[in-house]
Amino acid sequence: MKSEVMVGNKAVAYAVKLARARLISAYPITPQTTIVQYLSDMVASGELDAEFVNVEGEITAQMVCMAASITGARVFTATSGPGLLYMHHALHGTARYRLPVVMAVANRGVRTMGPDHTDLMAQRDTGWIQLYCENNQEVLDTGLMAYRIAEDERVRLPVAFGLDGYVLSYTAEPVTIPGQEEVDEFLPPYKGDYPVLPENFDAEIEEYKRHWSQGKSIDEPFTPLPADESFSHLTMVKWGGGHDLQWRWRAHQEAMTRAKKVIKEVDEEYGRRFGRSYGGLVDEYRCEDAEAVIVAMGTIASTARAAIDRLRGDGKPVGLVKLKAFRPFPAEEFARIGEGVKAIGVLDRNISLGEGGVAFNSIRSAMYGLDERPAILGYHVGLAGNEVRVQDITRIAERTLKAARGEKVEPLVTWV
Amino acid sequence: MSKKLSIMDIPDEEAVWPGNPACQGCGGSIVGRLVYKALGRNSVRVEVASCAPGFMNIRVPSFYAPAFEGAAAFLTGLSRGYKLMGREDVVVAGLIGDGGTVDIGFQGLSAAAERNENIFWFTYDNEAYMNTGGQRSSSTPLLARSATTPITEKSRGKSEAKKNLPFILALHRVPYVSTASVAYPEDLVAKILYGKGLKGFRYMHIHAPCPTGWGFDPKDAIKVSRLSVESGLWPLYEIEGGRRFRLTYKPRELAPVSEALKIQGRFRHLTEEETDTIQRITTDNWDRLLALDGGEIC
Repeated sequence: MKSEVMVGNKAVAYAVKLARARLISAYPITPQTTIVQYLSDMVASGELDAEFVNVEGEITAQMVCMAASITGARVFTATSGPGLLYMHHALHGTARYRLPVVMAVANRGVRTMGPDHTDLMAQRDTGWIQLYCENNQEVLDTGLMAYRIAEDERVRLPVAFGLDGYVLSYTAEPVTIPGQEEVDEFLPPYKGDYPVLPENFDAEIEEYKRHWSQGKSIDEPFTPLPADESFSHLTMVKWGGGHDLQWRWRAHQEAMTRAKKVIKEVDEEYGRRFGRSYGGLVDEYRCEDAEAVIVAMGTIASTARAAIDRLRGDGKPVGLVKLKAFRPFPAEEFARIGEGVKAIGVLDRNISLGEGGVAFNSIRSAMYGLDERPAILGYHVGLAGNEVRVQDITRIAERTLKAARGEKVEPLVTWV
Repeated sequence: MSKKLSIMDIPDEEAVWPGNPACQGCGGSIVGRLVYKALGRNSVRVEVASCAPGFMNIRVPSFYAPAFEGAAAFLTGLSRGYKLMGREDVVVAGLIGDGGTVDIGFQGLSAAAERNENIFWFTYDNEAYMNTGGQRSSSTPLLARSATTPITEKSRGKSEAKKNLPFILALHRVPYVSTASVAYPEDLVAKILYGKGLKGFRYMHIHAPCPTGWGFDPKDAIKVSRLSVESGLWPLYEIEGGRRFRLTYKPRELAPVSEALKIQGRFRHLTEEETDTIQRITTDNWDRLLALDGGEIC
């Protein structure tokens, strides 16, 4: 274990190296670029034994990772903003095949170069797990946890983790680097699920036939792989399903639900082994006896800690909830938090135009089942990289506290 | 360069299952059968959106790359993955339609060729988006009718020439590029057997007549393809190392293009003048290829 002052992009590269990824494929885009450069240096110097595929675009990067993951390789890619939008189509494919691909996203606005979370949050329906980080140490640690979560037998889903562009990607902070042996113990080598070698083909088809015959008349003739692809059928054998095409969506949704437990377990184990943990799905900071809490993601959560400290110093009972896992969405956690407070202020560094802040709406929805619902206030902050200062968050938290104490606070949603 | 084979040299073992739900007379089905006969069963197949995933029941691990534009990248990932497994002996092959090759898949294809990925790409070219109802692709030939290049008073079918993919790929200086036709299976198989022995990016562009889309009697699929070769509309050649060019079949005398065109509904509207235009372009192209034969392309 050693420490080094490093930018967030280097922390990502260290995570990938420590995870012993076997294949890396990526396309450069600001502010993700140096992740790719650090990794290509590591591969070129022999520090990391991996295939490095320099591709011509982000769809390709994701497709290369997808196919290599099928063969059982631990893979990695990274992108940002518009590059992630370009990758969108292939993201669905990786999720469809339930492949444990891990991707870093240097969060960047989709209209400007500045950091915001709209790029990754706009991928919320692709079936990827999404985790967000607030400092470079968390970036490295999350990169390692991402593989454990993705490869867990109960989950088997791709994981994307976000680090705010520039604020983390290009800003240096001291980071503790875990030892390789400890990481190897935490993260054993990945072995793929799918026996895709040609010599196994006939046996696999027999298995598929057996699967097919379940629930079907034995007299019904077997049609070899009609109108589809054998690999897809093999995944069906593994993940269930069959003739009900909707079934795979259901299985995926159930895996997302199971992932909530797994994310918490992995985070706890990481804490035991390495001395750092991040609360699993949400990190609650000074929430004890709080009358109101504010919710933030990424580096805004880091700024918010200073604001909360200031307010607590003034005797104001306000806490912070950092939303770390956006998919799966921790609705149960928020329902529990909502039971104990009178108001929640949600800071959204993203927007779904026509509805508003995505976290705001999701959290409001999570409160619906409560007998006594807290007031939920929405704040649009930091879009397109707008600066978010401690005093901004202090004002937001104070306003939220007013609502908690029964004062009329209007409008419900404000732009800061 | 490939070695001449007789029809008797084509492997007996079938890699496809019996039964085929493709249209009667489907050239693409014949391509799939011949390609995997020649590749053998120590291979895998990648497909993207096209007719083939619907009709090809091939007994090798088969993958549907879930993005139309992503075939070359998916092949790349598999190939690198097998390399990591120490299994470079597995032939990673793609059976891709013309749309997935010349249009939406072209960026990734060009990139994979430039990286000289260890893959074997087969384009079965039915010269339009036949799986979606016969819309024009950039592989549709000049003046052909398609669902999006109709024949009206103002429109005479496709107004542009077909994109020349084999030459474009050859200029990436890849190890092996070839063309083939379902009417010349011994030539097709010979080229695959040769390509199989090479490492790096290999490309084969195969004429795959489509009775449904081209408008001919299903029994004439082979005839249409043979007449296309005999008339010079579909020359059979190979390009090694991106330079050395060889025609693998040279008719003693070119048949008139009208022989091939007149039995296809998609060319039924052609005037004599238009047929002459196609004849002139075809003869000119053939003369250029003859001049290159045995030499280097550039």
